[in-house]
Amino acid sequence: MSENNENWLEVSDESGIEVEDIVRFDHDNKTYCVYKLEDGYYATDGFCTHEAVHLEDGLVIDDEIECPMHQGIFKIKTGEAISPPACVDLKTYPVKVDNGKIFIKI
Amino acid sequence: MSLQKKISILGAGQAGAYAASEIRKYDKESQITIFSEESYLPYERPPLSKECIIGKKNFEELSFFSKSFYEVENINIKYQAVEKVNFEKKILITNDNQNHNYDSLLIATGSKNRQLSYDKENQDIKDNILYLRNIEDCKKIKKIIESHNKFAIIGGGFIGLEIASSISQLDKTAHIIEMGPQVMGRIIPSQIASMVSKHHENRGNSIFVNSNILSIKKIDREYQIELNNNKKILVDFIIAGIGSFANVDLFENTSLKLDNGIVTDEFCRTSEKDVFAAGDVSNFYHPFYNSRMRLESYQHAQNHGIAAARNILGQNIPYNTIPWMWSNQFDLNIQLIGICNDFDQEVQRGDSFEEGIIYIYLKNKKIMGACGIGIAGKVGRDIKLAGKISENEVEIDKKQLLNREVKLNKLLKK
Repeated sequence: MSENNENWLEVSDESGIEVEDIVRFDHDNKTYCVYKLEDGYYATDGFCTHEAVHLEDGLVIDDEIECPMHQGIFKIKTGEAISPPACVDLKTYPVKVDNGKIFIKI
Repeated sequence: MSLQKKISILGAGQAGAYAASEIRKYDKESQITIFSEESYLPYERPPLSKECIIGKKNFEELSFFSKSFYEVENINIKYQAVEKVNFEKKILITNDNQNHNYDSLLIATGSKNRQLSYDKENQDIKDNILYLRNIEDCKKIKKIIESHNKFAIIGGGFIGLEIASSISQLDKTAHIIEMGPQVMGRIIPSQIASMVSKHHENRGNSIFVNSNILSIKKIDREYQIELNNNKKILVDFIIAGIGSFANVDLFENTSLKLDNGIVTDEFCRTSEKDVFAAGDVSNFYHPFYNSRMRLESYQHAQNHGIAAARNILGQNIPYNTIPWMWSNQFDLNIQLIGICNDFDQEVQRGDSFEEGIIYIYLKNKKIMGACGIGIAGKVGRDIKLAGKISENEVEIDKKQLLNREVKLNKLLKK
């Protein structure tokens, strides 16, 4: 496989993570969020694009994440900002599960 | 004659700016004009009491949308105060004596500060009391805080406490004078009010509750404030945040129906044809609570402006959002959703700022409201969920709320 450990970073063990849970992952002075949705895992930048607030404390409903400070809403799968005050999209990242462990590709 | 519809928006605050943007999403044709009394692009005000004072944000960063956004979207901003509205002829008259006719008008003039009342002999003191409403006020306050050390904050509401928190973060001292028995008295639970007071006191500010001002005297360069409880405070400057009222001066003695703001229905319609009102200025009918309310908050101004925009376009969408507001003081974020003073049961979840502390208020087993405090963002999720559970009128057993293992999103999906 060409995708080796250099590309994928281990986020956490999959056990105990429920649908609509968020796992925060910090790496190299940056913060990310991994979300468990009905159809799998997704990842975005961890800070809201409106103000530097951790989205790990936000509310996931279906495939949307709402910022816990000012209620800006993003589509988790695409990062699209869909409700103000958020107007800049979130970056998204590939996620995979391997052997019960969650990996993110930054 | 052009058939292009003219939509005018009176006021360039959060409601006005978001209304303009929302109208343009659906209507690419109409002429949209925002009338602003200020000389800035429409900007958000919450940072004025916080980040702007402590120098964490520049005023340029406060714009909701960039200059090019308004150009690209063809939204015209007229930096001209409107001096008269003729509802019958559908005309706005600006201070340069120009007439501007409209087909639809949105009034989003916000609120204005309540001023302290003083006797005439204290006029010079009155003139030196600072108030915060806009960027110019903030610039003035910021400059004075930078060059002085001790401040009296009259009024222990959100604005006063936020300014006091900023003062303290600049290593200066604020004395907060509050008439009521607790800070943020009207809306915030007493437990959270006392946590906030303690947080201020631990950081060098002092809080005087149940305090009325008997006199203010200028002694040399300082002000001496005498309180009813035999206390005297000596400060360099006085800043007042004693509430506000709807900015309806323009409509006094007109046919527009006023009652603690502009009376509007759930579709943001006023008593005048094709005239809508949104944000702080509107005393609106809330279908969920079956009552009228006038709210002064960020989320309300934004969403009410958006709702008005859609109703101007004839979409007939009632505004039924559960009220939500927040305050940031020091490292703490306080959030409130729904109504927290009409309940038969109170439940506390969490007991540290690190994880967030929330008080949930139930009446007849339904959530009426919730108020929380925690390190930035920590209470946001559960506050929002409490609001959603309230909105969906889910019947809740107090025991479920007491059990921290039960996540609130599970209760929403019952």
